[in-house]
Amino acid sequence: MDMEFTEEQQHLMNSARSFLAKECPSALVRELETSELGFSPGLWRKMAELGWLGLPFPEEYDGYGMGAIDLVVLGKELGRVLCPSPYIPTVVLSGGAIVAAGSEEQKSLHLPRIISGEELIAFALQESGGSYSGRGINTTATEAGDGFVLNGTKMFVEFAEAADRLLVVAHTSGDADSTDGLTMFLVDAKSAGVQLTPLSTLARDKQCRVDLKDVKVTSDDVLGPVGGAWPLLEKTVHTGVVTVCAYMVGASETIHHMANEFAKERVQFGRPIGSFQAIQHYLAQTITEIIGADTVTIYAAWALDNDLPHRTIVAKAKSFTGDTFKQASSIGAQIHGGLGYNEEVDTTLFLRRGKQYQLSMGDSGHWEDVIAEELLDS
Amino acid sequence: MNFAFTKEEEAFRTEVREFISGAMTDDIPSRWLGGLLDTPVRQEFVTKMADKGWLSIGFPEKYGGTESTMPLAQYVLNEELHMAQAPIVGKNLGVVVNTLLHQGSEELKQEFVPRILRNEIQWALAYTEPEAGSDLANMQCKAVLDGDEYVINGQKRFITSAHFADYMWTGVRTDPDASKHKGISLLILDMDSPGITITPIWTIIGERTNDVFLDNVRVPKERLVGEENKGWQYITEALTYERFAMTSIAPTVRKFQRFVDFVKETEVEGKRLADDPVVRRKIARLSVLVEIGRMLDFRCVAMAVKPDYVPYIEAAMNKMWGGIVETEMSDQFLDILGPHGYLWKDSEAKASEDALLDGDVADDYLWAGHQRVAAAGVDISKNIIARRHLNLPSG
Repeated sequence: MDMEFTEEQQHLMNSARSFLAKECPSALVRELETSELGFSPGLWRKMAELGWLGLPFPEEYDGYGMGAIDLVVLGKELGRVLCPSPYIPTVVLSGGAIVAAGSEEQKSLHLPRIISGEELIAFALQESGGSYSGRGINTTATEAGDGFVLNGTKMFVEFAEAADRLLVVAHTSGDADSTDGLTMFLVDAKSAGVQLTPLSTLARDKQCRVDLKDVKVTSDDVLGPVGGAWPLLEKTVHTGVVTVCAYMVGASETIHHMANEFAKERVQFGRPIGSFQAIQHYLAQTITEIIGADTVTIYAAWALDNDLPHRTIVAKAKSFTGDTFKQASSIGAQIHGGLGYNEEVDTTLFLRRGKQYQLSMGDSGHWEDVIAEELLDS
Repeated sequence: MNFAFTKEEEAFRTEVREFISGAMTDDIPSRWLGGLLDTPVRQEFVTKMADKGWLSIGFPEKYGGTESTMPLAQYVLNEELHMAQAPIVGKNLGVVVNTLLHQGSEELKQEFVPRILRNEIQWALAYTEPEAGSDLANMQCKAVLDGDEYVINGQKRFITSAHFADYMWTGVRTDPDASKHKGISLLILDMDSPGITITPIWTIIGERTNDVFLDNVRVPKERLVGEENKGWQYITEALTYERFAMTSIAPTVRKFQRFVDFVKETEVEGKRLADDPVVRRKIARLSVLVEIGRMLDFRCVAMAVKPDYVPYIEAAMNKMWGGIVETEMSDQFLDILGPHGYLWKDSEAKASEDALLDGDVADDYLWAGHQRVAAAGVDISKNIIARRHLNLPSG
């Protein structure tokens, strides 16, 4: 048992931390909340220059061949500053799916373009039911001529408006109760019949509803085997979930630190409020939960990297880390008193995202259902 | 980053399992956390482990130890013992041997360590007093040097193994004028000494702990552990070992697994309990809390094997979480079982016929709160984390 990061990982952590502290201050996060794109193309380009966009891809496609633990290291730093970027949908999920299922041609076409920051791919898996484990997909793809015709509605498609392509998961056979018969498509975002409707959210991030109405795609746009997407995609989805867990751990650490420092300085009743046990016990329990969330996230990443069974541990990581971030942000704002709920104080950035991330990419209840299946139905 | 045990450790785990399945008898499991060595069969069980050299792993050969290349051997051993509800390798090693090796005189090391590693002598830890509970440093039990002997007067409370122990590892006040943390020393008392009176205190689950009264008990001054008035430092260091060596998550994991098997097998009014959506969510939720306990346990252990690092904060986090999970879990289990869940045991400790899971869940419920208070419980652990880790000001 060894719970240390490697030297390379520590280097990635330190350099990401100092880069993002400088390049992604909370003022930028606020500015992006009301911007059209929702992320900074300049910052995205710099992230590409640093090599971050190629981190998990094989070296033969200009990537760095790194694993889920490395994504956790970077994800934590992105979360620490609440960095808004398409990193998870484009690099981890869509890029991961291309690596797992793509043809040689698709890999050499898309991966270098993702790595250089030229191509953005939005990840269109989820639908209105909120499942993130391949069930509840009602979007269909019907064979027609040389290709397929897609129909359905995708929800929570992040950065769809900025995307060049959408990775759409649809049933070519089978039904919504099953993960059998799912197929992935790389759909040109400008295709006829693709309609994007921005969704206003609690976190003011860029979520979209994507309506697909008789959208025609060619057989070249099919990613991986027809009807056999899920066995190839599941691990990529889990890697994305673990990366968002890391993001939440980093964000939780920041809000906890803010509250902790505030409690040392804020004087009421003639003493710093951090000397009161009511406050101390909130902070002590929250930091323990954050360390638990951090460890279970790293453990899940380790399981992914070592090809161990990972469905249950990823479900546990998302469920607990989501609850932890929500709780850390609520307690963090509460310790700030009335100030904590002022729009101009950064606690509110965390308070809004804390709840949203808990509900995103499968809420706690969804992942608890997955755990129950694994524990009770085998 | 590597969460796996080594091949050597896994091989050792298999060996331990084989030993347990051969040596375990029905009268060994105890309801006490960690299992007291209060009966001949339990002591015999541990002596068999001592004969295999398992109590001495990782301790210096000079005192009867066995050098080991497995830093986690003791953790693996205790994990398996916990899972089998067998007596664990507990305070005798975790507190007494560790502290003697770090702080004790050469004479004390030679006198006691080899005998403990052979399981020849049993110990009681005596810190708590009626006025020294959470405020443990407020101990008043007094030791005054008279010639070559200390004379001890006072009272110790909740001294769990006192009624069968050979020696008592006792915190005493040697300097009444110093600040409370700076006037405490550690003495080893022979339980046969004149002036010791032991009276039972019965816990809510019918297990015995004790009050110990000390009336002019005389102890040779050579039985002082380390330096005079440094006892508080030794006690807190040793409590850290106790917090992770003795209060591992393994018993919680065992109870959780047993309950999962139960809901999978049990039908209520023709419907499998495991198919009830409320039960499913509760079980899933608890599995997450237990998993986090395992993660905090791992973190503690991974830090503990680093040279010269005392995992004080990690152990406090572990302790806090264990108390929270254990109370939450036993409460939820009883809710799932409904009224049958509270059917308990009679005065002979036999569960009634209609009781579920032998009434053990009711036991766990009654005892869980104790884990929130014992050996620096949930609230004291939070104080430790707040002051020592988060550097929050004291009041």
